[in-house]
Amino acid sequence: MEHMDHTEHLEHTETPADMKSKIWNTFWILLGLTIVDIALYFALLSTHSMLKNALFIVLGVVKAWYIVGIFMHMKFEKKVLMYMIILPMIFVVFFIALMLIEGDFTYLLRW
Amino acid sequence: MANTTNLSTDKKTAWGGGKSPFSVSYGKLMMWIFLLSDAFTFSSLLIAYGFIRYSFPSPMENTIVKPLSHVAEHFTEAMNKAGLFVQNHWPAPELVFNHFPFIHGIHLPLFFVSLMTFILIFSSVTMVLAVEAGHRMQKKEVANYMLLTIIGGAAFLGCQAWEWTTFIQEGARLYGNPFGPRSFAALFFIVTGFHGFHVFSGVVLNVIIYLNVLNGTYEKRGHYEMVEKVGLYWHFVDLVWVFVFTFFYLI
Repeated sequence: MEHMDHTEHLEHTETPADMKSKIWNTFWILLGLTIVDIALYFALLSTHSMLKNALFIVLGVVKAWYIVGIFMHMKFEKKVLMYMIILPMIFVVFFIALMLIEGDFTYLLRW
Repeated sequence: MANTTNLSTDKKTAWGGGKSPFSVSYGKLMMWIFLLSDAFTFSSLLIAYGFIRYSFPSPMENTIVKPLSHVAEHFTEAMNKAGLFVQNHWPAPELVFNHFPFIHGIHLPLFFVSLMTFILIFSSVTMVLAVEAGHRMQKKEVANYMLLTIIGGAAFLGCQAWEWTTFIQEGARLYGNPFGPRSFAALFFIVTGFHGFHVFSGVVLNVIIYLNVLNGTYEKRGHYEMVEKVGLYWHFVDLVWVFVFTFFYLI
């Protein structure tokens, strides 16, 4: 690997040429999803169900997808890096859902 | 992609120590692994929150106070008397977090925390714009966007300090609170505190990188990858806030 005088060689994956517009699109999507979140919160104020929680968690995961994919450049990295990070997090989401249900059962035992 | 010249030789060299199989530098890969482990820590806190939250009954009837309507001076006490804040029911977030700086006596549920969310998302955007400017080696642009990111982070921390102050003034403590179960305020302080500490560390890192950019350290180095690495951390902090927001204020 040839080194220039004072600069380092750097391994990286390519960034698309229209990155700037991608960034702003992502920003509007995130803003929109947050507004949807708040609107749904007030629309569903008096309902309490696991489905409602699932809805909010899914919206959170969609936002996470945009932040990780575009802002953190994950979409343009190698697939192996993507799976290394995403796979464990899928299990974590599963764990969250599991423990919410478990908490519900604890509630039944307690009250 | 740039590195699809010859697959067979690629495979040979990929694990040979000369080239990263992930096509990222060592530092960036380690940042990803650190973030994954940090994500586990935050997940454990949020899972604990979700579990405890659901081992208590859901909030009492919580459609009584309309947004933007006028509320009494001692709102918490009034809610307590009305039986909306009781020890064995989880409190409704919009009745707890309904304050806004400089505005008194109006019910503004979740307005302030939404503002905080927008501030953090926006500072994430300026961060990624700094990274993008770094790819083009535009020192001045990188510096400006870094400065905006720092301001955003500081603004978020200020908001959180205000939120904590209000919460504490209303009687919330680690060991108890007037809103509902003890663990409600304890979890709030621990999780938002842990996240706030991450934001604080992020701001400190951003300031260091900003000064380095101004000094021309990365221009001499030939790339702005340090901005990217700190950027990864900063986006992660934003990402965690998305979930803290979902769990604490929406669920």
